[in-house]
Amino acid sequence: MFFKRKPMWGKKKKLKSSYDVVIIGGGLHSLATAYFLAKDHGITDVAVLEKNYIGFGGAGRNTAIVRANQRTQYNVPLYKEALDLWPILTKDLDYNLMFNNCGNLNLMHSEAAMTAARMTIATAQFHGVESHLIDAKQAKEMVPALNISEDITFPIHGAMFHPPGGVVRHDAVVWGLARGAAKRGVEIHQETEALGIGIQNGKVTSVTTSRGTINCKQVLISAGGYSASLIHGMLGIKLPISVLTIQAMVTQPVKPLLNHVVSSGAYHAYANQTLKGEIATGAHMDPWPNYTTLTTAHYIKHQAEALSEFLPCLRGLRFMRIWGGLADMTPDMAPIMDGNNQIEGFFMDCGWGYFGFKSCSAVGKYMSEFMAKNECPDILKPFALKRYEEHRLMGETAVVVNYTPDN
Amino acid sequence: MALIITCPVCGKRNGYEFKFGGEEKGPRPDETDLTPKAWCDYVHMNHCVAGVQKEWWCHKDGCGSWFTIYRDTTTNLERQVQKADHQEAEK
Amino acid sequence: MNRFNHLPTLKIDTTQKISFIHKRKKIYGVKGDTIATALFSNGIRIFGRSLKYHRPRGLYSLDGESSNTLMEVDGIPNVRCENTLLKEGMVIKEQNVKGSAENDILGFLDKLDWMMPAGFYYTVMHKPAKLWPIAMKQIRKAAGLGEISPEFKMPGKFDEIFLNTDVCVIGGGPAGMMAAVSAAKKGLRVILMESRPWLGGCFEFRSKEHQNRLSLHERAAQLSKEVESLKNIRVFTHASVVGTYNNNLVTGFQIGKEKDAFDERYIELRAKSVVVATGCTERPLIFDNNERPGVMQAGCALRLAKTYGQLPGKKAVFSIGHDFGLETALELHDLGLSIACIADIRDDGQDPALLKKIADKNILLLKGWVAVKAHGRKVVKQVSLSTIDGSVTRKFSCDLLVASAGMTPVTGPITVAQGKLKYDNHTGFFLPDAMPEKMHAAGRIIGLDDPLSIEASGKLAGLKAAFDCENGSIQEIGQAKKDLENLPGPVRGTKLVTAPVKGRKSFICFDEDATLKNIKQAIAKGFDVPELIKRFTATGLGPGQGGIPGHNLPLYVAKYQALPDISIKPTNVRPPLVPTLISTYAGAGHQMLKITPMDEMQRKDGGVFRNIGVWQRARYFSNDFSCKNEIENVRTNVGMLDGSTLGKFRIFGPDAVKALQRVYVSDMSKVKEGRIKYSAMCTDDGCVIDDGVVVKQGENDFYFTTSTARAGQTAEWIRYHTRYDGWNFAIVNLTDAMGVINISGPNARKVLQKVLDIDLSNEAFGFSEYKEFKIQDTVPVKAMRLGFMGELSYELHVPSSYMKSVWLMIKEAGREFNIQNFGVEAQNVLRMEKCHIILGSESEQRTNLLDVGLGFLWDRNKPEAKTVGAVALRQAEKDQTRLKLVGFKMENNTRAPRDGSLIVDTKVRGYVCTARDSFSLKEAVGMALVEAPLSKIGTRLEIFEDECGNNRIYGMVTQMPFYDPDGKRMKM
Repeated sequence: MFFKRKPMWGKKKKLKSSYDVVIIGGGLHSLATAYFLAKDHGITDVAVLEKNYIGFGGAGRNTAIVRANQRTQYNVPLYKEALDLWPILTKDLDYNLMFNNCGNLNLMHSEAAMTAARMTIATAQFHGVESHLIDAKQAKEMVPALNISEDITFPIHGAMFHPPGGVVRHDAVVWGLARGAAKRGVEIHQETEALGIGIQNGKVTSVTTSRGTINCKQVLISAGGYSASLIHGMLGIKLPISVLTIQAMVTQPVKPLLNHVVSSGAYHAYANQTLKGEIATGAHMDPWPNYTTLTTAHYIKHQAEALSEFLPCLRGLRFMRIWGGLADMTPDMAPIMDGNNQIEGFFMDCGWGYFGFKSCSAVGKYMSEFMAKNECPDILKPFALKRYEEHRLMGETAVVVNYTPDN
Repeated sequence: MALIITCPVCGKRNGYEFKFGGEEKGPRPDETDLTPKAWCDYVHMNHCVAGVQKEWWCHKDGCGSWFTIYRDTTTNLERQVQKADHQEAEK
Repeated sequence: MNRFNHLPTLKIDTTQKISFIHKRKKIYGVKGDTIATALFSNGIRIFGRSLKYHRPRGLYSLDGESSNTLMEVDGIPNVRCENTLLKEGMVIKEQNVKGSAENDILGFLDKLDWMMPAGFYYTVMHKPAKLWPIAMKQIRKAAGLGEISPEFKMPGKFDEIFLNTDVCVIGGGPAGMMAAVSAAKKGLRVILMESRPWLGGCFEFRSKEHQNRLSLHERAAQLSKEVESLKNIRVFTHASVVGTYNNNLVTGFQIGKEKDAFDERYIELRAKSVVVATGCTERPLIFDNNERPGVMQAGCALRLAKTYGQLPGKKAVFSIGHDFGLETALELHDLGLSIACIADIRDDGQDPALLKKIADKNILLLKGWVAVKAHGRKVVKQVSLSTIDGSVTRKFSCDLLVASAGMTPVTGPITVAQGKLKYDNHTGFFLPDAMPEKMHAAGRIIGLDDPLSIEASGKLAGLKAAFDCENGSIQEIGQAKKDLENLPGPVRGTKLVTAPVKGRKSFICFDEDATLKNIKQAIAKGFDVPELIKRFTATGLGPGQGGIPGHNLPLYVAKYQALPDISIKPTNVRPPLVPTLISTYAGAGHQMLKITPMDEMQRKDGGVFRNIGVWQRARYFSNDFSCKNEIENVRTNVGMLDGSTLGKFRIFGPDAVKALQRVYVSDMSKVKEGRIKYSAMCTDDGCVIDDGVVVKQGENDFYFTTSTARAGQTAEWIRYHTRYDGWNFAIVNLTDAMGVINISGPNARKVLQKVLDIDLSNEAFGFSEYKEFKIQDTVPVKAMRLGFMGELSYELHVPSSYMKSVWLMIKEAGREFNIQNFGVEAQNVLRMEKCHIILGSESEQRTNLLDVGLGFLWDRNKPEAKTVGAVALRQAEKDQTRLKLVGFKMENNTRAPRDGSLIVDTKVRGYVCTARDSFSLKEAVGMALVEAPLSKIGTRLEIFEDECGNNRIYGMVTQMPFYDPDGKRMKM
């Protein structure tokens, strides 16, 4: 038995000497942008450069939760569009992205949290996104495993229920987008490290790689957690980013138990059951920048303590795997999407923290438009780098993100 | 990963006793004629070094001191930095 | 089944029967049995069914690497029956079966594997789109082994233990024990972790000669005696290591013995040096039906007999690739197992002594042969053997197939600590290449097989570990190294990964039913590295993780792609190295909330408590959460509030003022004795993070308060922002040392005057003034006249130890005025009516000092102070698009909107921070953050509440404060 090799995203090819567009990073934002460049704008002379293999970074390490219940009016429409795109992409890519539209339940553990949730819910409803405030009893009806008694550290007051959210199979998105892009002529070069960007007269001219230099007019860096380091290293542009390792883990698989994504800010934890039956859970970041992607003893224990309180039946399950990935955090928990700023032809898409997965489809759509037309679409305008200089933080978090004293 | 940090007062301690205080950026700039860009550079912008960097830590669950160490952000291990490397790391 | 009861290696007591329930039937095992060995002794061969194809599965390794023998025990799913001791009355259930494990209705799925190539779910089931939700339901039902009810309550006691040691040795086999002994003899503290319930490792059950006619199991006993005799070795048996981290942090868990006070406990230990002596597991041999019940590994077969006193079968075929397999065959033959044939993968290289014995006993040995297929629908009945090239085949009847391709070093503790492995052509192992700092490997894990070499390597590792602890000498280590070099080195291992099969029913991963065919399909689709194949085929992602596929996957991928050298690395092993109960990780479980000195008394008074930040606080004093009575009592009479959670600090020293100037926006050089200075702190963005009062209590000596939320960070905040300056000041956090009682209301003075003998008249102690005095010459009090609630108000700061007494005195004095408690919610409304803000309620992350109307606090004439936030405030001052805090009243006297409602037109223009139907004002009022153009008095606000649909309510921007705008009441 020998199978004919038909690599899903094309056979390994030589690098050409020039491309219209070079995209650095082989994750979801890159692949989505490449896909939409080809599909919506007919720009197919595109090279995606990935140092390892596609989906090596955050794309393959996130827990695949999607939702559009962000806090501000700048963010909600973008994430709403991203949500709407999953079924469309499944069809267009002809690849089962396994969108499990199970709804998200965000637990609230104080009156103050209920107030905060109400604002978020009102914002969602105002933008036509379904989201409701429910009380503890209703939450318990939806998730029978919840402990709504008073005898836990953070008793549950209620929850924000967001029906349109859910879980998508992250690997499928990577492979599906890669296949879709490759079919339209995009070249995906794995094990190809970008080493530098050539600039002449304030314009992008080339990209140096571990496999030689290629000429190009436009470069996008969307390399997840590595973006800030690359952008500074290659172009000397500093960003308001701190790169942290974020961890997630799964239990051994069991038959259906949780039918929603359940999350809790107070406990710093979320949990959902994958299609394979594992309870996937995570959220914590050690609050110091690092690129290790290493897990910690501290955290898996913390997670067990938290789940023991609000989902006590999970005490009978076993964790079987914990892993880490990178989250590039900005002071206001909102991303930076910018282009032709300082250097013509240079675009960046970074600072997504742990929201990179949820947003990838919509970002691909609009970053590709930005690059194709050289004009920032309205929906991306609030995410420009300049906002930090203008003291206009996005307001995506109600309170300060506390990982350096200055944020 | 298990972070250990050397507090100049208390010695080697579990990393969770400490609070990270950002990359070393030097003293606060003078306020007069500070442009928004320069201000932003000082307050928000980071080098995001993947490697050894000089950075601030506070022994918050201990003596409370603020101090700098060199740490390799790719391994989370503290590094003793010699004078020559010192300048390298500070670039 | 009759058990052996005469073997010296037995760990069972055949005289003590233990009953348990299996499939509603009471059956018996004996003391010392694991659940698996007890079931096996009852003739049970099929323990459960596999995930995807519902294939029968049974006993395979006895160390529980795979899901084969996972069962539900007393309601807990996925219990590893191979290493869980049998207890009286246990109720055991089969998992993933429809019907029974013996007769599973879904067994037909095994024939449908052609419908389910690798990754099939990505390419089907989404067309048409309507199909997917239906298919998904079925997928979910089919997925998952085991079941747990949402009401499940985990029984048992869980504990945790945190340890410090010099040397931690992982693995209590001969190498580990030698390492522990040699380090302990240096006087070091040693912790030895062994996952089985006893020490001895690969020696403990074997009769092979160690030296001088001593058997390996006797040698194991000798060594463990020595370990136990050394008081500085702490042994944890039945304790699995689950994580290793840099800086030598090791975590694990221990299963309690009968007399222990815990069922399981989490272990976290820090060592100066770590020795990894985890030995080997057997590398599964891959052929058709290689996981059929009746196929088991050599160690499993041998230990069943020698540890648990039962023969693994009646008639056996062996397909092995190492001397241990031959040794096992001989031992079992001597115990009465009939052996049809031994197929040895190797053409040569066997131990001649073993070959002679095999010949002496007339056992058929086929060199260069391997099992290609196990026959038998549910259990093994026949085995086909073939030459390695597949050219000649023979068939044998048997009920046991001992199959083992080779050994696999258990490198998990090394790789999760970021050690690197490298393929070694001689042993066929991925051997430790770069070890993590202060971690050493010893024993079979580095390829050794000779008993004396194993021990010598242990000794060497122990000495190296001691050296890490600054003990011992290089010479000594050099000598130990030489000793090891003079002993036999690593043995040549077999390279064979799979028998000559097509692989449709040859399983590389049991847990996920992944076959060789699936791997080939993945490679064809472009997934050419193990890590990607793992993702695409789920190989090694099941309940036992990499336990079965382990190093077979990279070896097979290399072989299949005909890679010239095996540069392919094994897939990442991730913690926990052994699946670990969430309850074990959680340990004892502690609630970590702070209570104030008045906690108990307020509860007695009917306080309804809530967790607010790190504190538990009385939020209400009745079940009327609008707090009407509490509020009216403060407005018309007098109430008392426990404000002890406020941050309280002393800062003193020659540079204290400079430090205050740096962090407070006001000019802190103007703090006057006896006067209260209210001010705020900002971030460098000018965003307001804290407000509070500062008083001067002496020369260069100040006392100040912060909001409750900031108490934990303020000291480090001030030190952070002055860290370059070298200023001389000290700051002390008095938050827990001091309590705060707030007495508010028009009768506050009358109540307090009964307690205090100082003059409290408005002239003697006016608004915004500060006094220090002692109550009854004993209790030192700092008193402030503040007006947060908008009434005559005194805030007494009292040492925590005196709080109860002072509280009672005031309560007693207030009795004639009917003084009442009020809680945090009443305070919230009272201050809102006065438009006094609470940061976090009337501000968010991006709100700056000017936005909330506190610009009057900012003194811009102190640039030399480099005040935190001042630059940003100056730069943002003219920005007209920011959100501004406004007060509003409701139109037509409608009810107050819910907090968090939006202010909208065609877009979101702001939101309601706090709004209430005010009892004092007899109308609904509130505060909102709105875009600057909407902040003019008289602007109509369109309010969008959650669930309002198309209905809007309207408010109008109005003057602040709403209540007592001239502030007469708080100054009276």
